Amino acid sequence: MNKFKDFCVFSAGLWALLLVSGCNLNTRMSTFTAKGPVAETQLDLFMLTLWVTAFIFLAVGGVYVYVVIRFRDKKDSTDAIPSQGHGNPLVELSLIGVSIFLLVIIAIPTLKGIWYTHDTPSDEASLLGSWYTNGPLSEESANEPFIIRAIGYRWWWEFEYPQLGISTANEMVMPAGRPIHIELRSVDVIHSFWLPKIAGKVDLIPGRSNSMWIQAGDSYEAWLAKNDFQGSEVDAQSAYNNYLENDIYDYYYGQCAEYCGDSHARMLFRAHVVKDEEFYAWVNKQKAGHKAPDNMEWDEWYDAYDNAPETLTGDVNEGLKLFMGRAKCATCHVVGGNPRAVGVAGPNLTNLADRHSIAAGWLNHRNEDNSIDSKQQFNNFVQWIKETDVVKPGNLMWKAKGAGIGELDPLLNDEEINQISHYLQSLK
Amino acid sequence: MSQAASHDDGHHNLMVNNKKLIMWLFLGSDCMFFGTLISTHLIYRKLYPNEFEPTSLFSLELTSFSTFILLMSSFLMALSVSAMHKGEMRSFRRNVIGVIFFGLIFLGCQVYEFTHFIHEGLTLSTGTFGSTFYLMTGTHGVHVAIGVFWLISMLFYSQSGKMEAHKNAIDVEVAGLYWHFVDIVWIVIFTVVYLIEFIG
Amino acid sequence: MSTTITDLPNQTQANDLNNLKPEKSDLGLIRPDHSKNVFVDWLTTVDHKKIGIMYGAMALFFLLVGGLEALIIRTQLAVPENDFISAQRYNQLFTMHGTTMIFLAIMPLNAAFFNFLVPLQIGARDVAFPRINAFSLWSFVAGALVINFGWALQALEAFGLFTAKGPTAGMNDFVPAMGWFGYAPITDKEFTGAGTDFWIMGLQILGVASLSASFNFIVTIINMRAPGLKMMRLPVFTWMTLIVSLLIIFAFPAITIALAQLMFDRVFGTNFFSVAGGGQPILWQHLFWIFGHPEVYILVLPAMGIVSEVLPTFSKKPLFGYSIVVFSGAVIGFLGFAVWSHHMFTTGLGKIATAAFSLLTMAIAVPTGVKIFNWVGTLWGGRIRFQAPMIFALGFVWMFMMGGFSGIMHSSAPADAQQQDSYFVIAHFHYVAIGGILLAIISGIYYWLPKMIGKMWQGSLNIWVAILTVVGLNITFFPMHFLGLLGMPRRTHTYLAGFGWETYNMVCTIGSYILGLGVLLLVVDIVRCFRSKEAAGNDPWDARTLEWATTSPPQVYNFAQTPVVNARDALWADKYGPEERKLGSVDESHGIHMPSQSWMPLVASCGFIPLGLGLSLMQAGVPFSGYAAILGLVIITVGVALWALEGPGGYHLHPQKKA
Repeated sequence: MNKFKDFCVFSAGLWALLLVSGCNLNTRMSTFTAKGPVAETQLDLFMLTLWVTAFIFLAVGGVYVYVVIRFRDKKDSTDAIPSQGHGNPLVELSLIGVSIFLLVIIAIPTLKGIWYTHDTPSDEASLLGSWYTNGPLSEESANEPFIIRAIGYRWWWEFEYPQLGISTANEMVMPAGRPIHIELRSVDVIHSFWLPKIAGKVDLIPGRSNSMWIQAGDSYEAWLAKNDFQGSEVDAQSAYNNYLENDIYDYYYGQCAEYCGDSHARMLFRAHVVKDEEFYAWVNKQKAGHKAPDNMEWDEWYDAYDNAPETLTGDVNEGLKLFMGRAKCATCHVVGGNPRAVGVAGPNLTNLADRHSIAAGWLNHRNEDNSIDSKQQFNNFVQWIKETDVVKPGNLMWKAKGAGIGELDPLLNDEEINQISHYLQSLK
Repeated sequence: MSQAASHDDGHHNLMVNNKKLIMWLFLGSDCMFFGTLISTHLIYRKLYPNEFEPTSLFSLELTSFSTFILLMSSFLMALSVSAMHKGEMRSFRRNVIGVIFFGLIFLGCQVYEFTHFIHEGLTLSTGTFGSTFYLMTGTHGVHVAIGVFWLISMLFYSQSGKMEAHKNAIDVEVAGLYWHFVDIVWIVIFTVVYLIEFIG
Repeated sequence: MSTTITDLPNQTQANDLNNLKPEKSDLGLIRPDHSKNVFVDWLTTVDHKKIGIMYGAMALFFLLVGGLEALIIRTQLAVPENDFISAQRYNQLFTMHGTTMIFLAIMPLNAAFFNFLVPLQIGARDVAFPRINAFSLWSFVAGALVINFGWALQALEAFGLFTAKGPTAGMNDFVPAMGWFGYAPITDKEFTGAGTDFWIMGLQILGVASLSASFNFIVTIINMRAPGLKMMRLPVFTWMTLIVSLLIIFAFPAITIALAQLMFDRVFGTNFFSVAGGGQPILWQHLFWIFGHPEVYILVLPAMGIVSEVLPTFSKKPLFGYSIVVFSGAVIGFLGFAVWSHHMFTTGLGKIATAAFSLLTMAIAVPTGVKIFNWVGTLWGGRIRFQAPMIFALGFVWMFMMGGFSGIMHSSAPADAQQQDSYFVIAHFHYVAIGGILLAIISGIYYWLPKMIGKMWQGSLNIWVAILTVVGLNITFFPMHFLGLLGMPRRTHTYLAGFGWETYNMVCTIGSYILGLGVLLLVVDIVRCFRSKEAAGNDPWDARTLEWATTSPPQVYNFAQTPVVNARDALWADKYGPEERKLGSVDESHGIHMPSQSWMPLVASCGFIPLGLGLSLMQAGVPFSGYAAILGLVIITVGVALWALEGPGGYHLHPQKKA
């Protein structure tokens, strides 16, 4: 009996410890800090189920503990056999009734949540044409919500912006307060798009067109309605901007959530939620692409590259020569502007040096203030090129037949790797 | 079928013989097997209605003939079960030979059909239609073949003179259950895989 | 009354057996009955009790293997960016951990209890088809070998004794690494190697084992009950066995066909799941979960059955609401077929399907809750004795409730979008699998092992097993709720620092060692029980059901005379009930008919090994593998044919005739 008491005390202490230790719930991928209407709906539902089950836990658990203690076999009791009651239908039925009632409490908001989180809002204010002011849109695009197409590869992400005619990899950039329709496609196996603070996951299934919608932060109208703001339009606007500034503009972390093979653990992505102006600037920069090194035009550069490559000197030029030549990088990668770097098997490298991470979010070089640690960035490039098979076991860049780094003979030496890294660092 | 070592010493709560009951359960489970195969076929057929045009390939005459043959074999099977119950060994043997013969004709038709289809270009890897069609009808064919093998074994066993009505009637009855089931499954397949293609 | 059906001096039976000589089978071969050779005796046995013990021993072995795999996984995850094992090895380990625990540990542990207990609980001499029962056991062993064959190759490779080159060049990834759910298209031969083939064939063989065992148990329970043992007098454990067996025979066909389709995709180039040829990977998920969700109840209902036996015994009260517990078990089983898509809320089912499966999933919480209410009701007003089985059963109710709560959370589809494929799900189903199923199984072991081997537990190691497993379980899996909600996805072999996951992971790893220690102590305690000198006696716990009416361990014929049952808790009524409720017995002056032992189930099952391995290696292009498969088929056919021709045989025992 004493042992059992010790056991109870020990377990209870442990539970208390665990509950207390559940301290910081505001981490990079926490679902507790929802930053958009979809994640908020999901969080609210979770909290509802949590409270309902906590209530059941206390009620049933309380009775259970009471019963176990109250009806324990006392040493001093006689050997009498307890009454052999077989059950009580009334008790059973009322408990079933209570259970059903509690489930209905969960079910109704669940149904509302399913409908709300399923369809991309298509009201006037949600259409791309109603807010996008950075250049002309086709009629069709203007009457759609903003679309980003997320394409899963083993093990990285392509983000296409079909209405804007641009594409990037692993770090998407998106505006705040607008619903975004995400088209989910996969080229190989099943992946899953999960950006915990903004929305729960939906799978990318090959041969199937899935979609979801996400939104970072409330729209102006929703925010007004939610906060019941009293005051002038101007004040409201600035308060809303403050809300976005403090709460929403941020660097969000996401990850593939469906097992997709060897490096599933290293298929991360990022979402950069930015002001509209910043977003437009990024779109324009992505569209413009890069000029050749030393501000040359590409025709001019290729002329030299084809006829007198030795005239192209400096680390960046050497790096680009390797990129186009011996290292065969251009077989698989697009670099915006470069007319011969049009391979599509690997990530788009346009403005690569602007990104805060490489290797699908595995190698990071982001400072706390959102600037880029360029020394770390350079080291990351080197590490990635040198041991891509270690950073991401099984990946295509190492072993792609005929173009893989692992198949180069001889392998790239340290100097060459540094030169390529210098070139990559110039992509901004 | 004496392979199910019935341990029948006690009574039966349900008044159903153990062997018969286990066969019914097996057939219930087998329904799920064929259900899965047939629904896979129908799902893909609906998903890709234009992937393949089976009416150009199916020969309704041939399949109707083999269906009829299989139906008749079921009739003979019923006769042989009844003969066994009455202890009429010669009649039993005659009918079982008929079932085996008809079963073999059915299998022959299927082999002919398969070779013809493959010749015409419908192989296992012709889209999803080839995959689902062959796996489904093939599984049914394997069922028929096992049934034929079973009945042949039984026929030989009956030649040994060890077969007695009071002891083995149940075995024949269980084999009969199996045979009727395989027949019914074929009627379902014939309807939803062949006939339906010619409607509309 | 009970003395006539049970207690006969042991030597009576021994003399009887010594006098018996094996007979010739219909084929003219000597039957392996009454063998003095232990190996022959056990390999050819058709005794449900020996078969149950073998199931149990092998399942415990695989429980330790699966546990070891889990500990390696946890060690790898203890700290961020760990490189204790490679990504590939990690993926193999979590795949095999899941497969092993579900198919090679829990299902056969349940089967061990089914085998040992069901005939005893219903007052039968054996199962309906003793040889099919042996066949199920040996097929399970064959399947387990085929599934784990990759580890052997991996070990050989590690010692430099085997390399995939020359004729075996097509073989890579010997060990399956696509998860126990094997979602297409990662199982396509483009993405995974020979391990997937071993997995497919191994599961296929295990399916044969489970199906044949289930047919057998349904017939046994329906047809072989002792006189007077009406369905609504069956012990709840037997009821759960019946429901589980029905679930198996209707759920396994879906996975069998899905695996066959997958095998055809890999070996013969069909297009069931391969996207290039128009296949839909989502079809695999539907077929898999149509099997997979009932499978969850296949795993958990026997645990509920065990607890429904232990709680009444140790509170000296009948089960509260017997008929409702039975009925809710059936409802759970039935609804289990209607909720499969709640595993697929994130696959884009559409609003209507999502809503329907969400609501159905909530509905299944009601019969589950009913069971918990009834267990509490059973305790109410009882005299609760905290003996070892009861401690685990009480722990079960508590921990299973925890697992149930997170289950309710999943049923809300939008909330599940955050939880799916995160550590939250791992926490949920491990509370069910360990806190629920494993604790119940341990409770069952403590409860019934004295019956199985006739010896009583020694010492108080059981308290430590209880503390370590329950505490270890909570330390391991409670933090995983937080991990999942903090965004850590499942099946990741490593993670970056800085996401707030480090502490939780370290705590989980420590907890898993504690849990592992608990399970190890359980094994130690079991060994000590085997070496115990104290006889258990027929009824050491003052129990209620029929199995406790016979000797411990029961004689080969279970009951000297077939009992006649006149009450629900048959033995309890016999001990404490009115005269008309006491056990009666059937007059069996002609002696007890016992089934003969046979080699054939073993022979036929052995054929599965070349068949399975041959078909697996065919995909990798290993020469002669097709012939191995054909050889396997021939062995199976010959085995079954000889089985049929040798005849059931049998001999008579006269236990009442004193020597």
